[in-house]
Amino acid sequence: MDIERLDPHCQAIIGQYREMLPVLTRMSEIIPVQIRSFFEEAGIIVAAMEQRVKTEESLAGKLELKGAKYRDLFDLTDILGLRVITFYIDDVDKVASVLERLFDIDWDNSVDKRKAHEIDSFGYLSLHYICRIPESAYYSPEHPEINKIRFEVQMRTVLQHAWANMNHDTGYKSGVEVPKKYLRNLSRLAGMLELIDEQFSTIRSELTEYRRKIQNLVASGDLGEVPLDGDSYRSYLKLNPFGALTRRIAAVNQAEVHENSMMPWLSVFKGLGFKTLGDIDSLIKNYGDAAYQIACYQIGLTDLDIISASIAPQNLCIAFIMKNGGGKAGIKYMFDIINGESEANETIAEMLMEQAGDLPFMNQ
Amino acid sequence: MEINIKTLPDSTVAELVGRLDTPASLEIAPAFESLYEKASGTVVIDCSKLEYISSSGLRLFLTLRKSASDKGGRVIVRSICPEIRNVFMMTGFLNLFQIED
Repeated sequence: MDIERLDPHCQAIIGQYREMLPVLTRMSEIIPVQIRSFFEEAGIIVAAMEQRVKTEESLAGKLELKGAKYRDLFDLTDILGLRVITFYIDDVDKVASVLERLFDIDWDNSVDKRKAHEIDSFGYLSLHYICRIPESAYYSPEHPEINKIRFEVQMRTVLQHAWANMNHDTGYKSGVEVPKKYLRNLSRLAGMLELIDEQFSTIRSELTEYRRKIQNLVASGDLGEVPLDGDSYRSYLKLNPFGALTRRIAAVNQAEVHENSMMPWLSVFKGLGFKTLGDIDSLIKNYGDAAYQIACYQIGLTDLDIISASIAPQNLCIAFIMKNGGGKAGIKYMFDIINGESEANETIAEMLMEQAGDLPFMNQ
Repeated sequence: MEINIKTLPDSTVAELVGRLDTPASLEIAPAFESLYEKASGTVVIDCSKLEYISSSGLRLFLTLRKSASDKGGRVIVRSICPEIRNVFMMTGFLNLFQIED
Protein backbone atom coordinates (compact mmCIF):
# COMPACT_ATOMS: atom_id res chain seq x y z
CA MET A 1 0.00 0.00 0.00
CA ASP A 2 1.19 3.51 -0.78
CA ILE A 3 1.79 5.24 2.55
CA GLU A 4 1.70 8.63 0.84
CA ARG A 5 -2.05 8.13 0.35
CA LEU A 6 -2.60 8.24 4.12
CA ASP A 7 -3.38 11.51 5.85
CA PRO A 8 -0.55 13.21 7.82
CA HIS A 9 -1.90 11.93 11.15
CA CYS A 10 -1.79 8.33 9.96
CA GLN A 11 1.61 8.88 8.38
CA ALA A 12 2.88 10.08 11.76
CA ILE A 13 1.65 6.84 13.34
CA ILE A 14 3.46 4.88 10.62
CA GLY A 15 6.62 6.88 11.42
CA GLN A 16 6.20 6.01 15.08
CA TYR A 17 5.76 2.36 14.09
CA ARG A 18 9.00 2.34 12.08
CA GLU A 19 10.84 3.85 15.03
CA MET A 20 9.39 1.32 17.45
CA LEU A 21 9.75 -1.75 15.21
CA PRO A 22 13.06 -3.00 16.72
CA VAL A 23 11.56 -2.73 20.23
CA LEU A 24 8.37 -4.49 19.14
CA THR A 25 10.35 -7.25 17.48
CA ARG A 26 12.45 -7.73 20.60
CA MET A 27 9.31 -7.84 22.76
CA SER A 28 7.79 -10.47 20.48
CA GLU A 29 10.88 -12.62 21.09
CA ILE A 30 11.19 -12.11 24.84
CA ILE A 31 7.59 -12.23 26.06
CA PRO A 32 6.86 -15.81 24.83
CA VAL A 33 10.05 -17.10 26.47
CA GLN A 34 9.16 -15.39 29.74
CA ILE A 35 5.56 -16.55 29.89
CA ARG A 36 6.47 -20.08 28.83
CA SER A 37 8.60 -20.45 31.96
CA PHE A 38 5.66 -19.31 34.10
CA PHE A 39 3.37 -21.83 32.38
CA GLU A 40 5.86 -24.60 33.13
CA GLU A 41 5.99 -23.49 36.76
CA ALA A 42 2.19 -23.66 36.91
CA GLY A 43 2.21 -27.13 35.33
CA ILE A 44 0.42 -25.96 32.19
CA ILE A 45 1.38 -27.82 29.03
CA VAL A 46 1.09 -25.49 26.08
CA ALA A 47 0.66 -27.06 22.65
CA ALA A 48 2.05 -24.08 20.77
CA MET A 49 2.72 -20.38 20.98
CA GLU A 50 2.72 -17.97 18.10
CA GLN A 51 3.65 -14.33 17.94
CA ARG A 52 3.72 -11.63 15.33
CA VAL A 53 4.32 -7.93 15.00
CA LYS A 54 1.75 -6.30 12.76
CA THR A 55 3.26 -5.62 9.35
CA GLU A 56 3.49 -2.05 8.09
CA GLU A 57 1.14 -2.93 5.24
CA SER A 58 -1.46 -4.35 7.60
CA LEU A 59 -1.13 -1.33 9.90
CA ALA A 60 -1.50 1.05 6.96
CA GLY A 61 -4.64 -0.80 5.86
CA LYS A 62 -6.11 -0.46 9.32
CA LEU A 63 -5.21 3.22 9.55
CA GLU A 64 -6.74 3.89 6.16
CA LEU A 65 -10.06 2.53 7.42
CA LYS A 66 -10.15 4.02 10.93
CA GLY A 67 -6.96 6.02 11.49
CA ALA A 68 -8.79 8.94 13.11
CA LYS A 69 -9.73 6.66 16.00
CA TYR A 70 -6.12 6.39 17.18
CA ARG A 71 -4.23 9.25 18.77
CA ASP A 72 -0.88 7.50 18.39
CA LEU A 73 0.65 4.04 17.99
CA PHE A 74 0.05 3.21 21.65
CA ASP A 75 -3.71 3.42 21.11
CA LEU A 76 -3.56 0.31 18.95
CA THR A 77 -4.01 -2.87 20.97
CA ASP A 78 -2.93 -5.44 18.42
CA ILE A 79 0.34 -4.04 17.12
CA LEU A 80 1.96 -7.00 18.83
CA GLY A 81 -0.01 -10.24 19.02
CA LEU A 82 0.58 -13.51 20.81
CA ARG A 83 -1.38 -16.70 20.64
CA VAL A 84 -1.25 -19.40 23.29
CA ILE A 85 -2.71 -22.73 22.21
CA THR A 86 -3.51 -25.30 24.87
CA PHE A 87 -4.52 -28.94 24.65
CA TYR A 88 -7.30 -28.69 27.22
CA ILE A 89 -10.09 -26.19 27.53
CA ASP A 90 -9.64 -25.76 31.27
CA ASP A 91 -6.00 -24.84 30.63
CA VAL A 92 -7.21 -21.72 28.77
CA ASP A 93 -8.38 -20.33 32.11
CA LYS A 94 -5.13 -21.35 33.77
CA VAL A 95 -3.15 -19.53 31.07
CA ALA A 96 -5.37 -16.49 31.61
CA SER A 97 -4.73 -16.55 35.32
CA VAL A 98 -0.94 -16.64 34.75
CA LEU A 99 -1.22 -13.64 32.42
CA GLU A 100 -3.30 -11.77 35.01
CA ARG A 101 -0.49 -12.21 37.51
CA LEU A 102 2.21 -11.13 35.05
CA PHE A 103 0.68 -8.22 33.19
CA ASP A 104 -1.66 -5.30 33.59
CA ILE A 105 -4.82 -6.35 31.80
CA ASP A 106 -6.82 -3.75 29.95
CA TRP A 107 -10.20 -5.14 30.92
CA ASP A 108 -12.16 -2.63 28.83
CA ASN A 109 -10.62 -4.02 25.67
CA SER A 110 -10.22 -7.69 26.64
CA VAL A 111 -12.87 -10.06 25.36
CA ASP A 112 -14.04 -13.43 26.50
CA LYS A 113 -15.71 -14.57 23.31
CA ARG A 114 -16.67 -17.78 25.04
CA LYS A 115 -19.14 -15.86 27.22
CA ALA A 116 -20.42 -13.66 24.43
CA HIS A 117 -21.79 -16.66 22.63
CA GLU A 118 -25.41 -16.97 21.74
CA ILE A 119 -27.15 -19.96 23.27
CA ASP A 120 -28.30 -21.22 19.89
CA SER A 121 -25.06 -20.93 18.00
CA PHE A 122 -21.52 -22.25 18.13
CA GLY A 123 -18.32 -21.01 16.68
CA TYR A 124 -15.30 -18.96 17.42
CA LEU A 125 -14.60 -19.44 21.08
CA SER A 126 -11.55 -17.67 22.29
CA LEU A 127 -10.31 -15.54 25.13
CA HIS A 128 -8.45 -12.34 24.22
CA TYR A 129 -6.53 -10.26 26.74
CA ILE A 130 -5.04 -6.87 26.04
CA CYS A 131 -1.93 -6.69 28.17
CA ARG A 132 0.76 -4.25 29.17
CA ILE A 133 4.05 -4.94 30.93
CA PRO A 134 3.89 -3.29 34.37
CA GLU A 135 6.86 -1.18 35.43
CA SER A 136 7.17 -3.38 38.51
CA ALA A 137 8.00 -6.32 36.21
CA TYR A 138 10.25 -4.53 33.73
CA TYR A 139 11.37 -0.97 33.24
CA SER A 140 14.12 0.37 31.02
CA PRO A 141 14.97 4.10 31.16
CA GLU A 142 16.15 3.81 27.54
CA HIS A 143 12.79 2.39 26.45
CA PRO A 144 10.06 3.65 28.81
CA GLU A 145 7.63 3.20 25.91
CA ILE A 146 7.78 -0.58 26.47
CA ASN A 147 5.41 -0.10 29.39
CA LYS A 148 3.01 1.85 27.17
CA ILE A 149 2.76 -0.74 24.41
CA ARG A 150 -0.34 -2.86 24.62
CA PHE A 151 -0.33 -6.28 23.09
CA GLU A 152 -3.03 -8.84 22.49
CA VAL A 153 -2.87 -12.40 23.75
CA GLN A 154 -5.33 -14.88 22.27
CA MET A 155 -5.88 -18.05 24.25
CA ARG A 156 -7.58 -21.06 22.74
CA THR A 157 -7.42 -24.82 22.50
CA VAL A 158 -5.90 -26.78 19.64
CA LEU A 159 -9.40 -27.60 18.38
CA GLN A 160 -10.59 -24.01 18.63
CA HIS A 161 -7.47 -23.00 16.76
CA ALA A 162 -8.09 -25.60 14.05
CA TRP A 163 -11.68 -24.48 13.68
CA ALA A 164 -10.76 -20.79 13.53
CA ASN A 165 -8.16 -21.45 10.83
CA MET A 166 -10.43 -23.65 8.74
CA ASN A 167 -13.33 -21.28 9.13
CA HIS A 168 -11.07 -18.49 7.96
CA ASP A 169 -10.07 -20.58 4.97
CA THR A 170 -13.65 -20.86 3.79
CA GLY A 171 -13.67 -17.15 3.03
CA TYR A 172 -16.33 -16.45 5.63
CA LYS A 173 -14.19 -13.76 7.21
CA SER A 174 -13.11 -12.25 3.92
CA GLY A 175 -16.53 -10.83 3.24
CA VAL A 176 -17.34 -13.22 0.44
CA GLU A 177 -20.87 -14.41 0.90
CA VAL A 178 -21.02 -18.07 1.86
CA PRO A 179 -24.25 -20.00 1.24
CA LYS A 180 -26.26 -20.66 4.39
CA LYS A 181 -26.00 -24.42 4.19
CA TYR A 182 -22.18 -24.20 4.45
CA LEU A 183 -22.41 -21.81 7.36
CA ARG A 184 -24.77 -24.22 9.04
CA ASN A 185 -22.32 -27.09 8.49
CA LEU A 186 -19.49 -24.99 9.91
CA SER A 187 -21.59 -24.31 12.99
CA ARG A 188 -22.32 -28.01 13.36
CA LEU A 189 -18.60 -28.73 13.23
CA ALA A 190 -17.90 -26.02 15.76
CA GLY A 191 -20.48 -27.53 18.10
CA MET A 192 -18.89 -30.93 17.70
CA LEU A 193 -15.40 -29.59 18.42
CA GLU A 194 -16.74 -27.81 21.49
CA LEU A 195 -18.14 -31.12 22.77
CA ILE A 196 -14.86 -32.90 22.03
CA ASP A 197 -12.93 -30.21 23.91
CA GLU A 198 -15.21 -30.68 26.91
CA GLN A 199 -14.89 -34.46 26.73
CA PHE A 200 -11.08 -34.30 26.66
CA SER A 201 -11.14 -32.13 29.76
CA THR A 202 -13.62 -34.41 31.49
CA ILE A 203 -11.52 -37.49 30.71
CA ARG A 204 -8.42 -35.77 32.03
CA SER A 205 -10.19 -34.74 35.24
CA GLU A 206 -11.54 -38.26 35.74
CA LEU A 207 -8.10 -39.79 35.15
CA THR A 208 -6.55 -37.38 37.64
CA GLU A 209 -9.24 -38.35 40.15
CA TYR A 210 -8.64 -42.06 39.44
CA ARG A 211 -4.89 -41.68 39.99
CA ARG A 212 -5.47 -39.82 43.24
CA LYS A 213 -7.82 -42.56 44.43
CA ILE A 214 -5.31 -45.29 43.51
CA GLN A 215 -2.49 -43.44 45.28
CA ASN A 216 -4.64 -43.19 48.41
CA LEU A 217 -5.51 -46.89 48.27
CA VAL A 218 -1.84 -47.81 47.80
CA ALA A 219 -0.81 -45.53 50.65
CA SER A 220 -3.47 -47.00 52.95
CA GLY A 221 -2.37 -50.54 52.13
CA ASP A 222 -5.66 -51.72 50.60
CA LEU A 223 -3.73 -53.32 47.75
CA GLY A 224 -6.24 -56.08 47.07
CA GLU A 225 -8.69 -53.40 45.95
CA VAL A 226 -6.30 -51.84 43.46
CA PRO A 227 -6.43 -53.10 39.87
CA LEU A 228 -3.01 -53.75 38.37
CA ASP A 229 -2.28 -51.19 35.67
CA GLY A 230 0.48 -48.79 34.69
CA ASP A 231 -0.66 -46.03 37.03
CA SER A 232 -1.32 -48.18 40.07
CA TYR A 233 1.91 -50.15 39.60
CA ARG A 234 3.92 -46.93 39.33
CA SER A 235 2.38 -45.67 42.59
CA TYR A 236 3.09 -49.04 44.22
CA LEU A 237 6.76 -48.90 43.19
CA LYS A 238 7.12 -45.69 45.18
CA LEU A 239 6.74 -47.90 48.26
CA ASN A 240 9.85 -49.82 47.09
CA PRO A 241 8.10 -53.19 47.49
CA PHE A 242 11.07 -55.23 46.20
CA GLY A 243 13.66 -53.31 48.23
CA ALA A 244 13.86 -55.64 51.25
CA LEU A 245 14.25 -58.75 49.09
CA THR A 246 16.87 -57.05 46.90
CA ARG A 247 18.90 -56.09 49.96
CA ARG A 248 18.60 -59.62 51.33
CA ILE A 249 19.87 -61.09 48.05
CA ALA A 250 22.67 -58.50 47.83
CA ALA A 251 23.81 -59.51 51.32
CA VAL A 252 24.60 -63.03 50.03
CA ASN A 253 27.78 -61.75 48.34
CA GLN A 254 27.93 -58.27 49.84
CA ALA A 255 27.02 -57.15 46.35
CA GLU A 256 26.52 -53.67 45.02
CA VAL A 257 22.95 -53.13 43.77
CA HIS A 258 22.49 -51.52 40.38
CA GLU A 259 19.14 -49.72 40.55
CA ASN A 260 16.95 -49.84 37.48
CA SER A 261 13.31 -49.43 36.54
CA MET A 262 10.90 -52.11 37.72
CA MET A 263 8.26 -50.97 35.23
CA PRO A 264 9.12 -53.63 32.59
CA TRP A 265 8.06 -56.33 35.11
CA LEU A 266 4.45 -55.12 34.94
CA SER A 267 4.03 -57.06 31.67
CA VAL A 268 5.36 -60.20 33.33
CA PHE A 269 3.02 -59.88 36.32
CA LYS A 270 0.10 -59.38 33.96
CA GLY A 271 1.29 -62.32 31.87
CA LEU A 272 1.26 -64.47 35.00
CA GLY A 273 -2.38 -63.54 35.54
CA PHE A 274 -1.99 -61.07 38.40
CA LYS A 275 -5.00 -58.78 38.60
CA THR A 276 -4.36 -56.50 41.58
CA LEU A 277 -1.46 -54.98 43.48
CA GLY A 278 -2.51 -57.33 46.27
CA ASP A 279 -1.44 -60.23 44.03
CA ILE A 280 2.08 -58.81 43.77
CA ASP A 281 2.16 -58.12 47.48
CA SER A 282 1.16 -61.74 48.17
CA LEU A 283 3.86 -62.91 45.74
CA ILE A 284 6.49 -61.03 47.73
CA LYS A 285 5.19 -62.33 51.06
CA ASN A 286 4.69 -65.93 49.96
CA TYR A 287 7.64 -66.39 47.60
CA GLY A 288 10.26 -64.05 49.06
CA ASP A 289 12.10 -66.92 50.81
CA ALA A 290 12.02 -69.03 47.65
CA ALA A 291 13.40 -66.13 45.57
CA TYR A 292 16.19 -65.76 48.13
CA GLN A 293 16.96 -69.50 47.94
CA ILE A 294 17.32 -69.26 44.15
CA ALA A 295 19.79 -66.38 44.56
CA CYS A 296 21.79 -68.26 47.22
CA TYR A 297 21.97 -71.32 44.96
CA GLN A 298 23.03 -69.32 41.91
CA ILE A 299 25.38 -66.63 43.14
CA GLY A 300 26.27 -67.91 46.62
CA LEU A 301 29.25 -69.86 45.32
CA THR A 302 30.45 -67.20 42.87
CA ASP A 303 32.43 -64.03 43.47
CA LEU A 304 29.86 -61.90 41.64
CA ASP A 305 29.52 -58.76 43.73
CA ILE A 306 27.16 -56.70 41.61
CA ILE A 307 23.48 -57.40 41.03
CA SER A 308 20.64 -55.60 39.34
CA ALA A 309 17.55 -54.68 41.36
CA SER A 310 15.65 -56.73 38.75
CA ILE A 311 16.91 -59.85 40.48
CA ALA A 312 14.09 -59.60 43.06
CA PRO A 313 11.07 -59.63 40.67
CA GLN A 314 12.90 -62.09 38.41
CA ASN A 315 13.51 -64.65 41.16
CA LEU A 316 10.03 -64.12 42.61
CA CYS A 317 8.49 -64.93 39.24
CA ILE A 318 10.77 -67.94 38.72
CA ALA A 319 9.81 -69.29 42.16
CA PHE A 320 6.12 -68.69 41.51
CA ILE A 321 6.26 -70.48 38.15
CA MET A 322 8.28 -73.42 39.51
CA LYS A 323 6.05 -73.90 42.53
CA ASN A 324 2.83 -73.65 40.51
CA GLY A 325 3.85 -76.20 37.89
CA GLY A 326 4.59 -73.74 35.10
CA GLY A 327 7.79 -75.65 34.34
CA LYS A 328 10.21 -74.89 31.55
CA ALA A 329 7.52 -73.42 29.28
CA GLY A 330 6.41 -71.02 32.02
CA ILE A 331 9.93 -69.79 32.70
CA LYS A 332 10.69 -69.39 29.00
CA TYR A 333 7.43 -67.42 28.69
CA MET A 334 8.57 -65.11 31.47
CA PHE A 335 11.96 -64.47 29.85
CA ASP A 336 10.29 -64.04 26.45
CA ILE A 337 8.17 -61.23 27.92
CA ILE A 338 10.97 -59.46 29.69
CA ASN A 339 13.85 -60.06 27.26
CA GLY A 340 12.05 -60.59 23.98
CA GLU A 341 11.48 -63.97 22.38
CA SER A 342 14.61 -66.04 21.90
CA GLU A 343 15.69 -69.68 21.65
CA ALA A 344 18.26 -68.89 24.32
CA ASN A 345 15.44 -68.29 26.82
CA GLU A 346 14.57 -71.97 26.48
CA THR A 347 18.13 -72.96 27.38
CA ILE A 348 17.98 -70.78 30.50
CA ALA A 349 14.56 -72.17 31.42
CA GLU A 350 15.90 -75.70 31.00
CA MET A 351 18.89 -74.98 33.25
CA LEU A 352 16.65 -73.40 35.90
CA MET A 353 14.35 -76.41 35.91
CA GLU A 354 17.39 -78.65 36.41
CA GLN A 355 18.24 -76.57 39.49
CA ALA A 356 14.67 -76.80 40.79
CA GLY A 357 15.22 -80.22 42.39
CA ASP A 358 18.03 -78.82 44.56
CA LEU A 359 16.01 -75.87 45.84
CA PRO A 360 14.59 -76.42 49.36
CA PHE A 361 11.27 -74.64 48.66
CA MET A 362 10.51 -77.10 45.85
CA ASN A 363 10.68 -79.97 48.30
CA GLN A 364 8.42 -78.41 50.92
CA MET B 1 42.25 -60.09 26.67
CA GLU B 2 41.72 -58.17 23.45
CA ILE B 3 39.20 -55.60 22.34
CA ASN B 4 38.88 -54.86 18.63
CA ILE B 5 36.80 -51.81 17.79
CA LYS B 6 35.45 -51.30 14.29
CA THR B 7 33.47 -48.30 13.14
CA LEU B 8 30.76 -49.26 10.66
CA PRO B 9 28.42 -46.84 8.86
CA ASP B 10 25.50 -47.58 11.19
CA SER B 11 27.21 -48.77 14.38
CA THR B 12 30.38 -49.29 16.35
CA VAL B 13 31.30 -52.91 16.98
CA ALA B 14 33.59 -53.89 19.85
CA GLU B 15 34.75 -57.50 19.71
CA LEU B 16 35.87 -58.92 23.05
CA VAL B 17 38.31 -61.82 22.91
CA GLY B 18 39.31 -63.90 25.91
CA ARG B 19 38.48 -63.70 29.62
CA LEU B 20 37.10 -60.45 31.02
CA ASP B 21 38.27 -60.87 34.62
CA THR B 22 39.22 -58.06 36.98
CA PRO B 23 42.78 -57.42 35.65
CA ALA B 24 41.52 -57.63 32.06
CA SER B 25 38.72 -55.17 32.86
CA LEU B 26 41.28 -52.67 34.12
CA GLU B 27 43.37 -53.27 31.02
CA ILE B 28 40.58 -52.64 28.52
CA ALA B 29 38.82 -49.86 30.50
CA PRO B 30 40.47 -47.06 28.41
CA ALA B 31 39.31 -48.73 25.19
CA PHE B 32 35.80 -49.06 26.66
CA GLU B 33 35.86 -45.37 27.54
CA SER B 34 36.41 -44.59 23.87
CA LEU B 35 33.11 -46.38 23.24
CA TYR B 36 31.27 -43.89 25.49
CA GLU B 37 31.93 -41.25 22.84
CA LYS B 38 30.12 -43.45 20.32
CA ALA B 39 27.24 -44.15 22.70
CA SER B 40 24.86 -41.68 21.08
CA GLY B 41 24.50 -44.23 18.27
CA THR B 42 24.44 -48.02 18.27
CA VAL B 43 27.28 -49.84 20.01
CA VAL B 44 27.47 -53.60 19.51
CA ILE B 45 29.50 -55.67 21.95
CA ASP B 46 30.42 -58.82 20.07
CA CYS B 47 30.87 -61.52 22.70
CA SER B 48 31.29 -64.50 20.34
CA LYS B 49 34.92 -64.90 21.52
CA LEU B 50 34.33 -63.88 25.13
CA GLU B 51 34.92 -66.84 27.45
CA TYR B 52 34.29 -65.39 30.91
CA ILE B 53 32.97 -62.23 32.57
CA SER B 54 33.55 -61.06 36.14
CA SER B 55 31.74 -58.38 38.15
CA SER B 56 34.32 -55.85 36.93
CA GLY B 57 33.44 -56.78 33.34
CA LEU B 58 29.73 -56.37 34.10
CA ARG B 59 30.46 -52.90 35.49
CA LEU B 60 32.09 -51.92 32.19
CA PHE B 61 28.97 -53.06 30.33
CA LEU B 62 26.73 -51.13 32.74
CA THR B 63 28.69 -47.90 32.43
CA LEU B 64 28.47 -48.16 28.67
CA ARG B 65 24.73 -48.78 28.93
CA LYS B 66 24.28 -45.72 31.13
CA SER B 67 26.29 -43.60 28.73
CA ALA B 68 24.14 -44.79 25.82
CA SER B 69 20.96 -44.21 27.79
CA ASP B 70 22.04 -40.63 28.65
CA LYS B 71 22.90 -39.90 25.02
CA GLY B 72 19.87 -41.57 23.45
CA GLY B 73 21.90 -44.42 21.95
CA ARG B 74 21.70 -48.16 22.51
CA VAL B 75 23.94 -51.07 23.37
CA ILE B 76 23.49 -54.47 21.77
CA VAL B 77 25.20 -57.47 23.34
CA ARG B 78 25.72 -59.99 20.58
CA SER B 79 26.45 -63.73 20.61
CA ILE B 80 27.01 -64.43 24.29
CA CYS B 81 27.78 -68.03 25.21
CA PRO B 82 25.41 -69.89 27.57
CA GLU B 83 27.79 -69.49 30.56
CA ILE B 84 27.93 -65.71 30.23
CA ARG B 85 24.21 -65.52 29.54
CA ASN B 86 23.80 -67.40 32.80
CA VAL B 87 25.89 -64.78 34.63
CA PHE B 88 23.65 -62.06 33.19
CA MET B 89 20.59 -64.01 34.33
CA MET B 90 21.86 -64.79 37.85
CA THR B 91 22.68 -61.15 38.50
CA GLY B 92 19.42 -59.85 37.01
CA PHE B 93 21.13 -58.03 34.14
CA LEU B 94 19.60 -60.04 31.34
CA ASN B 95 16.68 -57.69 30.77
CA LEU B 96 18.83 -54.57 30.94
CA PHE B 97 20.56 -55.24 27.64
CA GLN B 98 19.33 -55.90 24.16
CA ILE B 99 20.80 -59.34 23.56
CA GLU B 100 21.12 -60.74 20.07
CA ASP B 101 22.06 -64.28 19.21
